[in-house]
Amino acid sequence: MDAILPDTRDSTWAARGSYLGARRLCWGLLLGLAILAGQVRGVEAQNRGSLDALYADAHQPDISGLWLVTGYFTLSPDRALPSLKPPYDTLYAKRMKAFNAGAPIDDVTANCLPPGMPHIMVVPYPFEIVQTPGRVLFLFEYSGQLRRVYLDGRRPSDDDDPTYYGFSSGHWEGSTLVVETSRIRAETQDDFSGLPHSEALVITERIRRVDHDTLEDQITLTDPKAYARPFTVTRRYQLHPTWTIGEYVCEENNRNASGANGVTGFGVPAPPKKR
Amino acid sequence: MTRAGKLQIFLAAGIVALALSGAPAIAHHSFAMFDQQRTLVLEGTVLQFQWTNPHVWIEMQVRDDRGKSAEWGVECTSVNMLKRRGWHHDSLHPGDRVRLLLRPLRDGSHGGQLATLLEVNGTPANLVSYH
Repeated sequence: MDAILPDTRDSTWAARGSYLGARRLCWGLLLGLAILAGQVRGVEAQNRGSLDALYADAHQPDISGLWLVTGYFTLSPDRALPSLKPPYDTLYAKRMKAFNAGAPIDDVTANCLPPGMPHIMVVPYPFEIVQTPGRVLFLFEYSGQLRRVYLDGRRPSDDDDPTYYGFSSGHWEGSTLVVETSRIRAETQDDFSGLPHSEALVITERIRRVDHDTLEDQITLTDPKAYARPFTVTRRYQLHPTWTIGEYVCEENNRNASGANGVTGFGVPAPPKKR
Repeated sequence: MTRAGKLQIFLAAGIVALALSGAPAIAHHSFAMFDQQRTLVLEGTVLQFQWTNPHVWIEMQVRDDRGKSAEWGVECTSVNMLKRRGWHHDSLHPGDRVRLLLRPLRDGSHGGQLATLLEVNGTPANLVSYH
């Protein structure tokens, strides 16, 4: 290495300089490596528990990974209900009557339409959170659905048509992702019990990692048209680092389509399907 | 299902308590058509094993104690969830004799939601579909 260090000084200094230069270079390299290793370790620590660090964003607290909801199927894990205003109270009573009679009605998912927000957050199938600069993406196994949460400050416009998942704007408060979602379609339900909402629904979520294996989503539904007051539920999700999201095409062999009466079906035996 | 007792179906008393205490099983759609308070043991012969989404289906022939045969449709959870619980696309074949735990349709039709596949051709399977 000495031989390739350029030096115009006298031979003594040249020899010493070369020696010192090499030492400095070595120490410099070592220091550089140490700093680099520290940075890598820092990023790794931040990304600890990720399914894959590539799916996380080093500039965001890490909530990436593959999660599955725990607990009961209703939106509220303890089956609490919002205070429903007319006519939503009557609508829900009608749906619950049908549900309890074993002939559920108005369930859009029976026909493979998306569950929408907030229902998708409590379906019994996993989702993957992917974080990229300016975005948090929720990739759901259920029907291959997707939620985009924009972190770049963009907001929904009054001209936006209501959609199944609405428009989600988010920001970080410490290690909590705060998401506001609005412009949600009215005909979707909050859960499989048929809990209704109106198109005025605004959902505020506070999403954080409680511990390495547990994600929490505190979901507040504010819907002045359908609910007398805001309704908050807290859901938890279990990390499944070894799982992989699979394909799920609802239309492949859906035998639960509802008939003209809106009652979820149970199909007669279908012809053999090839896979 | 007033004739259920006539079929090769037996109310699994020990399982009923479990079904009552657990959270209802859930599907891609509302599961209200299934009786979550009752669990039957169903035995029969596989006609088709539909390894499909949104649900895997077992079509089976069940003969009652009078020798009358009927086709039953058994709805399982999704392909992906079953794979995570040890199922495989060829876990069952037409002609297999199966014994399973079923949450029956509440309207008495020949069908229901699979809780657990207990046995295939006399060999314990213990493959869970829904909890």
